[in-house]
Amino acid sequence: MDHRLDIADSTDWIGTPLAPFQSLENALRCQVCKDFYDTPMITSCSHTFCSLCIRKALTSDGKCPACRASDQASKLRRNWAVQEIVDAFQAARPAALKVAQEHGSLKEGREGRRNKLKRGFQDTNPEDQEEELSFQSRKTRSQSRRAAAAASSQEVDDIMDGEEEHQPDDGLVPCPICNTRMKEEAVYAHLDRCDGQPSSQGRSTRSRSSATTLKPPPRQSLPQQLKATTPPSERIPQLSYSILKDNALRKKLQELGIASWGPRPLLIRRHTEWVNLYNSNCDSSRPRSKRELLAELETWERTQGGSAPNAGSAPAGVMRKEFDGQAWARSNHDHFEDLIAQARKKMIPTDAAKEDQTGDHATGTTQEPPDQDMGDKSKPATVNGERNTAPNGQISGSRDNPYEGNEEALSIIRKKVEAANNGHSTRRSSTEDEDVPMANALLPSEQARAEEMQDSIEPLSAPSRRSPLSPTRKKPMFSVPEEPVEDYETETQAH
Amino acid sequence: MATSVASKRLFTEYRHLTNDPPQGITAGPVTEDDIFIWEALIEGPEGTPFEGGVFPAELKFPKDYPLAPPTMKFTCDIWHPNVYPNGNVCISILHAPGDDPNHYEHASERWSPIQSVEKILISVMSMLAEPNDESPANIDAAKMWRERRGEYERRVRENVRRGLGL
Repeated sequence: MDHRLDIADSTDWIGTPLAPFQSLENALRCQVCKDFYDTPMITSCSHTFCSLCIRKALTSDGKCPACRASDQASKLRRNWAVQEIVDAFQAARPAALKVAQEHGSLKEGREGRRNKLKRGFQDTNPEDQEEELSFQSRKTRSQSRRAAAAASSQEVDDIMDGEEEHQPDDGLVPCPICNTRMKEEAVYAHLDRCDGQPSSQGRSTRSRSSATTLKPPPRQSLPQQLKATTPPSERIPQLSYSILKDNALRKKLQELGIASWGPRPLLIRRHTEWVNLYNSNCDSSRPRSKRELLAELETWERTQGGSAPNAGSAPAGVMRKEFDGQAWARSNHDHFEDLIAQARKKMIPTDAAKEDQTGDHATGTTQEPPDQDMGDKSKPATVNGERNTAPNGQISGSRDNPYEGNEEALSIIRKKVEAANNGHSTRRSSTEDEDVPMANALLPSEQARAEEMQDSIEPLSAPSRRSPLSPTRKKPMFSVPEEPVEDYETETQAH
Repeated sequence: MATSVASKRLFTEYRHLTNDPPQGITAGPVTEDDIFIWEALIEGPEGTPFEGGVFPAELKFPKDYPLAPPTMKFTCDIWHPNVYPNGNVCISILHAPGDDPNHYEHASERWSPIQSVEKILISVMSMLAEPNDESPANIDAAKMWRERRGEYERRVRENVRRGLGL
């Protein structure tokens, strides 16, 4: 959010002597993205938008956003004049804005404007420009390119700007070395044998780069630029998705070199997005490399595509249908283990207190109700009703001396549990039992473990008792793990 | 943060609204972390029963904004034929051109990518002044507005006063 304040906006002119520039700037901005036109295209209905914006809008509903006339992407035409005006305005903007903001009075402002209009960049030194440009940090490619050009060789700026502004719109481009004008396709073949004067190289490289190229310093990027534009401007056709089977569609995506995973609707959306990105890049006078486009597609994937935070546009808080609980459990295994360990630590003192109590009061039946209450209070959602029935009374009666005479049974359980836990340290059987109900709700592996334990207990317990008690075994995750302690122990005792 | 087209445009709109707010309208993201949820404050238009009131609303933007419109929900009690009892605003500018559940809206009034938060809020403000009872969201309010205008205005004024804590 830090860059919010850096976004250049037409409202920057408000309060300066050049306030009318607000509407001028508004006219140079695309109505869809509200940014300066980037590769402006004109529709059949004569409205102008950024290439990418109008392509997206057309694939979305097939209508011009401004007048809602039906249109097709194939009917779009470049609007070079607007492109040039926008480039020129963007280049002039920082200086003009600075002048406007510095000169408080209207009179001075007028003067500044006249100066600006006459001289453009010439009267500012490189440091100033850099300052101004960085102040407006969301530069377009043309701006950063210009900044680089301005910083590297100030003296050619006026010539260069003039040249660029008056570049004949004849569809020809100058050779970067000898500056001969020729068809764009012919440049690469020509470059291989060109031996033009190096003296004109600096200037012409830049002007060439202004016609076709990338952000980095032009000379270095020349080979890259050639590579980037080598598959020259061949638009990707739209597909009629309805006649393509999933596999055919996947294959198309692979052929284009983009990701081909995900369900069919995602494939279609991704393909559409890529076609729009790619084709608008073809429209651009400064095409980017495929790598940059892929990076952009990746951004799309993260924000709107398959990797988006809630991909199915499912509202937050609702679990998606295809939610993979097992994978989630696996990936969060450590965290769950931690929580279990914490819960256990908390439980140990309670257990100790309970044991003390049972030691103090020889008659356990009097002590059972508060104990039971405690359990009920802390987990009102669990099914506990059965515990107050007849078998429960028997249980509580036999709970007085939990470990007396049961060492044999306990040791059997311990062994089985240990085997099932394979590797977990031996604990008191009470604590060991505690994680059973939690495990039931947590991990498949632990659930299996718990079931194994039940099996191991089964032969020890009376078969008739199992059914009334079984609900306590199927407790949800957040139940207090006291109950099963009673469960298994009493079961073994009953034996 | 990946700057998508949507968030970039929302930043621009926010900047624009901050620097040059329309009369009686304030809007901006609720938190710095999520540019896709905004809160807006709309003043009740003068000369209507809503006059003097300030109505908070929440705007939620889809990830493919501006291709798809945001949704708007008043977070206060508001009695109006075009506002659902739960606060959702039903106004043509917020409806994508594709679906016309109400079959009365002209395509030209519907959402289009060239619309903006500012235009939405201005439309809502004028909706407060002039309800559209052709396809009401709150039928009781629409009926009251049509048949018992006096009672409608009294109720709205009461709401306004309550909203201001008077």
